[in-house]
Amino acid sequence: MKTPLKLLLCHHGTAGARRAEELAHEIAVSGTTTLVHCLVVPEFWAGMQGDDWLNNASTRDAFGDYVENMLENDAKRELAAVASRCHERGLAYESVMRFGNPAETVLAIAGEIGADLVVIGSPRMKGEEGLNSRMELEKLVRGLKCPLLIAPHP
Amino acid sequence: MVYTKKSPALFIIGLVMLLWGWLNASGNIDGVQQYFQQSAYSDHMKVKEKFDAEFRVASEMAAAQSKPVPEMKMPKSKFDEAKAFQSKMCYIFGGVATLLGLLIMVWTPKEGNLDYYLSIFPGMAYILLIAFLVRWGLDPMFANWGKAAQPTLGWNFASIFNLNYVVLGIVIGIVIVNVFKIPAWAANGVRTARFFLKTGVILLGALYSATELAQLGAISVLMIGVFVLGSIGVVLYMGRRMNTGNSMTAVLASGVGVCGVSAAVAAAPVVNAKAAEIAYTIGTILVWGVGCMFLFPTVGHLLGMGPVQFGAWAGTGILNSAQVAGAALAFDPHGIETLKVAEIFNITRVLFLPIVVLWLATWYVKHEVGAEKVDLGKVLFAKFPVFVLGFILMFALSTMGAFTPSGHYQGKYFSSEQIKEDKLLKGKETKAIEGELARLKEPAGAKQLQDHFTEKAINIGQRHAMPEDAYKGLADLIANKKMSTREQETLLKAVGKMKGLDAVAANAIDKAGKAAYHSSKTIGAFRDWLAWLFSFGLIGLGMQITMAALKQAGGTPLIIGGVVGTAKAVGSLIVVLLFVKEFI
Repeated sequence: MKTPLKLLLCHHGTAGARRAEELAHEIAVSGTTTLVHCLVVPEFWAGMQGDDWLNNASTRDAFGDYVENMLENDAKRELAAVASRCHERGLAYESVMRFGNPAETVLAIAGEIGADLVVIGSPRMKGEEGLNSRMELEKLVRGLKCPLLIAPHP
Repeated sequence: MVYTKKSPALFIIGLVMLLWGWLNASGNIDGVQQYFQQSAYSDHMKVKEKFDAEFRVASEMAAAQSKPVPEMKMPKSKFDEAKAFQSKMCYIFGGVATLLGLLIMVWTPKEGNLDYYLSIFPGMAYILLIAFLVRWGLDPMFANWGKAAQPTLGWNFASIFNLNYVVLGIVIGIVIVNVFKIPAWAANGVRTARFFLKTGVILLGALYSATELAQLGAISVLMIGVFVLGSIGVVLYMGRRMNTGNSMTAVLASGVGVCGVSAAVAAAPVVNAKAAEIAYTIGTILVWGVGCMFLFPTVGHLLGMGPVQFGAWAGTGILNSAQVAGAALAFDPHGIETLKVAEIFNITRVLFLPIVVLWLATWYVKHEVGAEKVDLGKVLFAKFPVFVLGFILMFALSTMGAFTPSGHYQGKYFSSEQIKEDKLLKGKETKAIEGELARLKEPAGAKQLQDHFTEKAINIGQRHAMPEDAYKGLADLIANKKMSTREQETLLKAVGKMKGLDAVAANAIDKAGKAAYHSSKTIGAFRDWLAWLFSFGLIGLGMQITMAALKQAGGTPLIIGGVVGTAKAVGSLIVVLLFVKEFI
């Protein structure tokens, strides 16, 4: 297998994503590969105020700001952790953080950066706790113009 | 930022509305309307037959006297009025939409107030178009299908599943957001649904009498107090036992205990809830809320609940406040009584919200190591629902007689002077009631009456109504040709709804009741507009319920929410059936 120049790692802090990161580190070659860390904030957050209508606008704004800051801080923490592990291995690191549908966003980013390889974690096992925002694998497989590597379940 | 999206959508919506208005006004779609407005059309045929007969007699008399045929105009039927109403609505809103749509097409939007306010109209017109479609098309269509399928199925599926304009509107909203997505040009306008729901609740304040408000308020404070505080206590206990974490437990307690998503939104920042905890809580509450909104009205009908009982149950038992209005209107789509009761419970709940948030904030600080203390005064002030003041103001204005003659609600029209001669019962009507009175005094009739009172939980003061109460009420009605007291009207209203009652007698009781209440035109208009406001608001809220959010329900929060939500729904049902009277 050719050494990837641009390796797109989809990582949002879950156990599966950590496994994908380990696999990406095994494949990436220091000095050759740039690891692009893609972190998608799932679009369901946009509907998280749902049908609240009783609150005053100030309460809703406070909630919106609170959630936005929290998601941003969580994401920054995650990006910093992955960046630090990459630097330990001497890998070039870039990051992209987007809001949207996971599969569509990964497809868009893969196209924009000209990814040679995309590495993702395996879907969470049924019954395992976690947010319900699964990657639509079929959409991803059909749309990608480069190989896709799915890390085995941890 | 520029908010207005350049799109011909608003212009097209306006043209569609104008076209529908013109088709109605010109009579080009009378055939279609005959199908949709079957009951109104049957009234139209009766009016027409009567008019034709009168015209024939007048023509014959004129011919006999060698006079020219008199000019006579056919009175307007309900069918004519329904079509005229649709035309008027379409011309007004279609005209505005067309003009604003043209403006959006030709104007290059720039940042500013005009852009901001203009951006909401396409979305509002979008919801309104759906409201028209649902109220004038789908609602009567499902009603017709339900009736048509009844002989085959043995039951009316449209009625049992409450497939009326409220439920259908919410379902369409949910389908649009999850299947087609809300178009970018409509996004800003869809958010105005909250404003219209609040406006609806504020206007609702004008429809309460002081007695109603005092009685409903007392029941609601008692029930909401017990169930809100009880369910919060249970969630806090279960959360600690199941190790769900303090912030998760607190945000879940507010959502499950008080008023659903609104409470979770209010409490989350105060108890430092984490992202995943918010998602789990809101997902759990939405799943329960939407499920209850469909289930409650069906159960309510199956149990033969009245407006007060159902309103009290929905207002207490449904976790999410947005679905309370939906369930109340789904249960009673063509009246406003159930909504009135349910919203009092909703308002009581929301008044509990600042106190509950304070409680949870204090609880969180006590249990969470390193948690920062919150400014209690600031929380109390920020979470106070300002719109409730509007509701109180409307109630005060109404009580002072701003919208209706003062004393209206105190039963002024029960006194003899206030009912006009032509509103008193006629001879054939009192005769029909006499016939029914005699029948109901027979053993079979007395048993039917007793069973009906028991089933509907009709009370007189603090005791259950007896057949003798009905005999006295009917005898008084025959003697006075009108209702004399509020109690008599309440009791006979129930008698009038009894199955198998002579139609003339039932209509006469209904007529006497309406004459006694004598609603003002302003109040009547309020009622109509309220139904539209809630219809609009609920379609918009449906558009904010995403499957992605619903899917977040799961894990321990779902277990706790499920247990407490079920206990609250069943517990409040039992309390309502045992202790809440049919009529206030």
